[in-house]
Amino acid sequence: MNFSYLTRRALVTIPLLLGVSLILFFVLHLAPGGPTDVYADNPSVSPAALENLKRELGLDQPLPLQYVRWLAAFARGEWGFSIRSGQPVLETALERVVPTLFLGGTSFVLALLLAIPLGIFSALKRYSATDYVFTFVSFLGISMPIFWLALMLQALFAVNLRWLPSAGLETIGDGGFLDRLRHLILPASILAVANIASWGRFVRSSMLDVLGLDYIRTARAKGLSERLVTYRHGFRNALIPVVTIIALDFAGILSGAVITETIFAWPGMGRLFIEAMNGRDYPVLMALLMIGSVALVFTNLLTDLVYSLIDPRIRYE
Amino acid sequence: MGILARYSLRGLKMLGPIILLCGITAAQDKGGTLTVGLSYDLDTLDPYATGFLTDVSSTFLEPLIAPDENARYVPAMATEVPTQANRGIRLTEGGKKMIVTYKLRPGIKWADGEPVTSADVKFTWEAIKDPKYLGPEKDGTDEIEKIETPNPLTAVIYYNQVYPGFKSALFGYGILPKHVLEGKDLNKDPFWDKPFGAGPFKVTEFKRGQYVILDRNPNYYRKDDKGTNLPYLDRIIFKIIPNTNTIVTQLKSGEIQFAYSIPFTLAPSVDNVPGIKVIKAKTLRFMHLTYNHKNEFLKDLNVRKAIAFAVDRDTINKSLGNYMTPINTFAVTSFAFSSKNPPTYKFNREAAKKLLNTAGYKLGGDGIFAKDGKRLSLKFMTQAGRTEYETAQQVIIAQLKAIGIETVVDNKSGAALSDARRKGGYDLWYSGWITPADAIESYISFYNTKGFNNGSGYSNPKVDDLLEKAASTFDPLLINSYMTQVQKLVLNDLASLPLFESASVIAVTEKLQNFKPNPTNQTNFRDVSAWWLKP
Amino acid sequence: MNNPTLEFKSSKPRDESFLARAVRRFRKHRLAQFGLVMLMVLGLAAIFAPIISSYTFDGQDSALLGQPTAPNFKHLLGTDQLGRDNFTRILHGARVSLLVGLSSALIATFLGTLIGALAGFYGAWVDSVLMRFTDVVLSIPILPLVIALSGFLRPSLPLLVLIIGGLGWMGTARLVRSQFLSLRNTDYVEASKALGGSNSRIMFRHILPNAIGPIVVSTTLAVGGAIILESALSFFGLGVQPPTPTWGNLLTGSSDFLETAPWLAAFPGLFILITVLSVNFLGDGLRDALDPRL
Repeated sequence: MNFSYLTRRALVTIPLLLGVSLILFFVLHLAPGGPTDVYADNPSVSPAALENLKRELGLDQPLPLQYVRWLAAFARGEWGFSIRSGQPVLETALERVVPTLFLGGTSFVLALLLAIPLGIFSALKRYSATDYVFTFVSFLGISMPIFWLALMLQALFAVNLRWLPSAGLETIGDGGFLDRLRHLILPASILAVANIASWGRFVRSSMLDVLGLDYIRTARAKGLSERLVTYRHGFRNALIPVVTIIALDFAGILSGAVITETIFAWPGMGRLFIEAMNGRDYPVLMALLMIGSVALVFTNLLTDLVYSLIDPRIRYE
Repeated sequence: MGILARYSLRGLKMLGPIILLCGITAAQDKGGTLTVGLSYDLDTLDPYATGFLTDVSSTFLEPLIAPDENARYVPAMATEVPTQANRGIRLTEGGKKMIVTYKLRPGIKWADGEPVTSADVKFTWEAIKDPKYLGPEKDGTDEIEKIETPNPLTAVIYYNQVYPGFKSALFGYGILPKHVLEGKDLNKDPFWDKPFGAGPFKVTEFKRGQYVILDRNPNYYRKDDKGTNLPYLDRIIFKIIPNTNTIVTQLKSGEIQFAYSIPFTLAPSVDNVPGIKVIKAKTLRFMHLTYNHKNEFLKDLNVRKAIAFAVDRDTINKSLGNYMTPINTFAVTSFAFSSKNPPTYKFNREAAKKLLNTAGYKLGGDGIFAKDGKRLSLKFMTQAGRTEYETAQQVIIAQLKAIGIETVVDNKSGAALSDARRKGGYDLWYSGWITPADAIESYISFYNTKGFNNGSGYSNPKVDDLLEKAASTFDPLLINSYMTQVQKLVLNDLASLPLFESASVIAVTEKLQNFKPNPTNQTNFRDVSAWWLKP
Repeated sequence: MNNPTLEFKSSKPRDESFLARAVRRFRKHRLAQFGLVMLMVLGLAAIFAPIISSYTFDGQDSALLGQPTAPNFKHLLGTDQLGRDNFTRILHGARVSLLVGLSSALIATFLGTLIGALAGFYGAWVDSVLMRFTDVVLSIPILPLVIALSGFLRPSLPLLVLIIGGLGWMGTARLVRSQFLSLRNTDYVEASKALGGSNSRIMFRHILPNAIGPIVVSTTLAVGGAIILESALSFFGLGVQPPTPTWGNLLTGSSDFLETAPWLAAFPGLFILITVLSVNFLGDGLRDALDPRL
């Protein structure tokens, strides 16, 4: 990896983002219904008022023109105003980014801390009782839809035991660190479950692949300690596929966890997206999608960097 | 005229607005803090711009007159409800135009201490009417010619037509403060982050996606019988909880103690929560099965009638826990003009099949009727993800199958649903409407040939004419007579099949005093000033 | 880190055919066989659902309307709030769920492996084009896309499979690519090239088997993922339309009855668990059977 490679990659992102924005813009606008439909169930809204609204929002213009206008404004940093709330889009999005990162980041770290040791352990003790228990629990985690698990844990910890709040970002009027932490426990754990299970499987499988290789046998034969073999030689090489999958899931954090956010009344990006989608709030939708895309592009770059760090055999020309 | 069931929109799994109150006892005799949550992600506090109901804004904006628990108008900031008898309504130019006069109570103040005057009434009209203001709730603004303010307590409103629906229009959501908003861009003004009015509460904080905190307005004008200043409550907090299962969980955990429009399927889970009572409240909402008159099968009255005979309301109701009341007309029983003996279609499968035979359909080998080689198969739409609607739809599908009509489910949500509804993108459509206390303008939007909510293609010039007449008279006897004829025609034509008068299931803490459910679209929070929590 | 040398030759005698060896290894894997049998049982149950159960999946019992009934002798797994037999609905639900789960996972694996292998093997502009394309698809969040599409396209069964499979291959593609990236410069591959091995032979015969581990894992996870994704879609009312049951929409529909009728959620959940576990065991067995290094 060198500087010119990085520059080239960075330059490639521009047409990439343009392409993504073009696709998304047209998919969103071609979906039936528009922002004014939000009011259409209301008989006291006059068609004239809706026409006026459409004109003011520029929705009466041809679609390609709308796209060019949006693009020009977006590139200048003018993200416009939300059609639903009248709030500046940038402000609306930023308000939601923080809780999303807070929830997504916590669950990400939690999943990472549990999945890697569990996967390694499971691989080392392959076909042992522990391995089977872990396998079973992993797939239990994967088989359970998030909403179901969420509702069950809410009932247990908030209703029966009363240890934790059932939903929300913070207790209104408190909002201290500990209070937020208490609100975070349930949604972060639930969000982590699926990741722990799937990452754990990947770590286990990669470790098995690597541990079966000759150089590991050689390392063992050389009399290196089992610990050193496992962690120095085995794990590092097992990381590549794991990094790939984890990076994918990491990029997904910014688009939010719609179901978890809905059930836990968490004010994140996912919920905002669904709301904006249902109301066809185009400025907000495009902003959210572009934030997601940019995040993804950068995670990709980062992933490739990490590849070349952990495996010198990977070269980028 | 006012706003109809907006909450059929934007639903994920939120199934209608659910409002929750959480009581914490205050030191004083009658008071307390209510933590209130909403089942929808409130977009803006501006009631003229929101795509949702006006639960929150009802607590801080005060109207001139407001519907009470029986959907009858009572005075709020005005001293009396204008009528022809009290000369508040005067018809002019030979009955072509009208003048409405409101007298404001003296001494009313905005939450910031400034006096409320008739100039504020005039300002509200001007601000909402302004084409630069994008809020779409402009109903009742074009009907006004001018507003005169001969003195600070008198507003004289000149309508360019006779407009009996004026009470539910324009000023119904409350008067806006001129001294704060004049000259501002109402669409984007930061006022809406912390709005106030002359209502019992004022907004202290609005955190989007999370909550709205409202504190007691010390300048509120009303007092109780003993002369104590209202409201009793110190604070109301609306918490935004977009999932109904979570709402029930919060009721159980005590994090909230009040919820309305609980889905019928969830109501049994709330029944046994200690300290919570479940109220089945009457609403102005009616459920209907609407036919698309442009459909090649449904164009035929016999097919529409066959479907009407095939539907067994009692079974549908039973599947939803019997929370609704079967009706035979679209005018709910709260309205005086609700017809006692409209044309009815009592559940009768044989009659249904006979009608299909009469219409030239033959029962095919697959159990489905067909005519000219075309199977009687219909696209059936309701709101996706709304359990109550989907359950009823399932039962209707089975009932239609039993007489040999096939239905294919095509459910939608959000803007796609509104789009399909408005353009008639369905053959059959099961849904509900909630009307304001003055419902006739709403009926026009459903059944008039050009009605804004008439996507079904139904058209009957006689109905158009009679509704128009009913909407331009104050005479209850005349309204009664016109509406009886309209109901007869609409049901003879089977524009749509009225099924139920729907109830709202409200779960409320036993500690909450003076709470009366409001059946109109102005929400249960129309009058919160007398509420208080027992310690 | 010490630079490992990789070897790719089989430690087993060469005279045994690839297939025979795979079968022999697979037969030693008890759990894999159990998984295969379970999947076949589920598949047959799904196919013969109308024969196995005397009820129809949309047949409502008006006597039982209103509230779900608990499991009893007449209705082994109880009924839902419309008096429909839960066992029958789960059997019929297996049709959609197994189909969606298995076929979309296979589509995703096929697409992902192909694209990843091409990108990783050829590198340079092929890699750039394919990976940027992957990025574009990745940048489109699946749930919002389906919500947008659902307006004009009803999520019919083949469409659902195509959407879930067509938007689920990127992980596999990047996995396979990363394996190829790390293997294509090894002496072994260089040697094969020098010996005149065709590119496709080197790719699919020599390099791909070394990536079999992660591929199998991502396929088995994708089966469960697809079934759960269908459930998530029905959470938003965008899944397979009622009255057709799927394990996903049976679960979603049970959410209002978690307290009053917990069995409504438990049984479809159990079937999903059995399925993904079976697929996983089967995958473990296949991996052991196919991996050239073991």
